[in-house]
Amino acid sequence: MAEETHGSSRSNRSEQRPRRKYNTRYVRKPRFCQFCSDKTLAIDYKNTSLLRKFTTEEGKIKPRRQTGACAKHQRAVSREIKRARHIALLPFTGGTWEEKAR
Amino acid sequence: MNKYEIVVIIHPDLDDEAIEQALGRIEGWVTESGGSIDNVDKWGKRRMSYEIQKQDEGIYYLLNVSMPPALISDLEKNLTILEPVIRYMIVAKNK
Repeated sequence: MAEETHGSSRSNRSEQRPRRKYNTRYVRKPRFCQFCSDKTLAIDYKNTSLLRKFTTEEGKIKPRRQTGACAKHQRAVSREIKRARHIALLPFTGGTWEEKAR
Repeated sequence: MNKYEIVVIIHPDLDDEAIEQALGRIEGWVTESGGSIDNVDKWGKRRMSYEIQKQDEGIYYLLNVSMPPALISDLEKNLTILEPVIRYMIVAKNK
């Protein structure tokens, strides 16, 4: 992290800079799919506290490279998030922003 | 007969009597089609993530229902007409 904040002073490494600029919120991928390792953990649209971990602050579904879920479980997660959105348990957009505004 | 979960969001300004009436009508449609309501779970008044019909709160009910699958479309049609219900969702439960 310390390297990234000082990136502007290293103007000689101009090739790497544009990539780094958008990579500041890099989330390390978990090594295992957590649903495969814990079979009791059910993916359900009613469990919003779990599903919230799989959405970004803006309410978007996180990509698989961030969640670390396997293809099967990522599909299940996205399906349940969409269900939760339909009954207004999760926001379509602007989750944190809207809570502050109220 | 398949098992379904029905989530119903009811308008927050209604009194208990009107809510009972609405739930009674849903139960009526389910039993009419030969199904049964196994469980009714009241989540109560919740703040919704976004406004539905200008309301930011809703009264949530979860119904566990077993019903013949062919008649779900009729139930869905009825739920859209039912005035106190501002949003509903029917999910098939397979296990």
